[in-house]
Amino acid sequence: MIQEYDLAIIGGGVVGLSAAMYCGRLNLKTILIGKEIKGTIAKTHIVENYPGFKKISGEGLSTKILQHAKQYTSKIFKGEVIKISYKKCFIIKTKKTEYHTKTILFTTGSSWKKLNVPGEKEFTNKGVHYCALCDGPLYKNKIVAVVGGGDSAAKEALLLSKYAKKVYILSRSTLKPEPINKIRVKKEKKIQALENIQVKEIKGDKFVQSVLLTKKINNSNELKIDGVFVDVGHVPLSKLAIPIGTKLNKNKEIIINKESQTNLKGVYAAGDVTDTKFKQAITGIGEAVKAVYGIYEYIHNEKVLCSSANEE
Amino acid sequence: MIKIYTTPECPYCKQAKAFLKSKGLEFEELDISKDETLRKEAEDKSGKRGTPVIDIDGEIVFGFDEEKLNRILK
Repeated sequence: MIQEYDLAIIGGGVVGLSAAMYCGRLNLKTILIGKEIKGTIAKTHIVENYPGFKKISGEGLSTKILQHAKQYTSKIFKGEVIKISYKKCFIIKTKKTEYHTKTILFTTGSSWKKLNVPGEKEFTNKGVHYCALCDGPLYKNKIVAVVGGGDSAAKEALLLSKYAKKVYILSRSTLKPEPINKIRVKKEKKIQALENIQVKEIKGDKFVQSVLLTKKINNSNELKIDGVFVDVGHVPLSKLAIPIGTKLNKNKEIIINKESQTNLKGVYAAGDVTDTKFKQAITGIGEAVKAVYGIYEYIHNEKVLCSSANEE
Repeated sequence: MIKIYTTPECPYCKQAKAFLKSKGLEFEELDISKDETLRKEAEDKSGKRGTPVIDIDGEIVFGFDEEKLNRILK
């Protein structure tokens, strides 16, 4: 028999997990399906801007939020949603089964943006990486480059400086980390930040050996390195929301209002997948909480029914 | 015999170890962050650089690929 829910949360990062926790408190019949549980923040080395924790690992913070959610619900599943449609109800199809739900909350987050230069695809996991916490320790006493100019790139470079003997930051424009991390980068002697420079190609044999640059460094356009860590932003994972008619902006982010509602009745979104300006765990979680309260009101005030989608 | 090549804080290594434990399987964990020879061994086996690398009686799984692990362990 097909299970019917008040809400299906699609995405298992800290934003989705926090929503699941609130749903438990509001007694909403909820299921969470996430391709990954704990999400991107679990791949962050240290989090220093989440209230209540002066310093905590991303893994530690996401584990605490998962445990908190599990206190209120057991319906947290790792799985891949392959299709969402609407027929009297929203129908969520995974590889194994399907669920019917009155409302949906997208917390699918984002994935790492690619550099899109020759050699990137060929050398992925062969010297091209997207997570310093995962692969940084493999570069003990080696030379690496971080490509990117934001706060995340600076943090990745700082982490890599614990292992590598030299870390270049290659930034397309000026480096713009949070001021606290800008000072840390400046103080770290192993880090050399190069601004207004781009990677044209990643070269190597079995593994990465160098990058070709748009400007000369030490009289050469070719910089010898052992590994490249790409940190040039994120791509929203909004594809699943498109077939039901959810409105996206030009960056393919789901457009939401102040209550985290999309253009569709019963469809909400929160976190990195949305068009909000600040992509932080704390802001995403705030959006998720607003969505859950909105969903609670919507279901109760409008007496939403999820008549079985199989009935005609 | 299952060998898992890891680095200390790698989130996918933690997930892979939890997965193997949940199946009641014993494994030998090898931290490749401090040992150049082990790092090379993991690279040679997988043809890639990253963790985890899981060696199940000669069958190699790169990353925490749950589907592939389930297939091999079936």
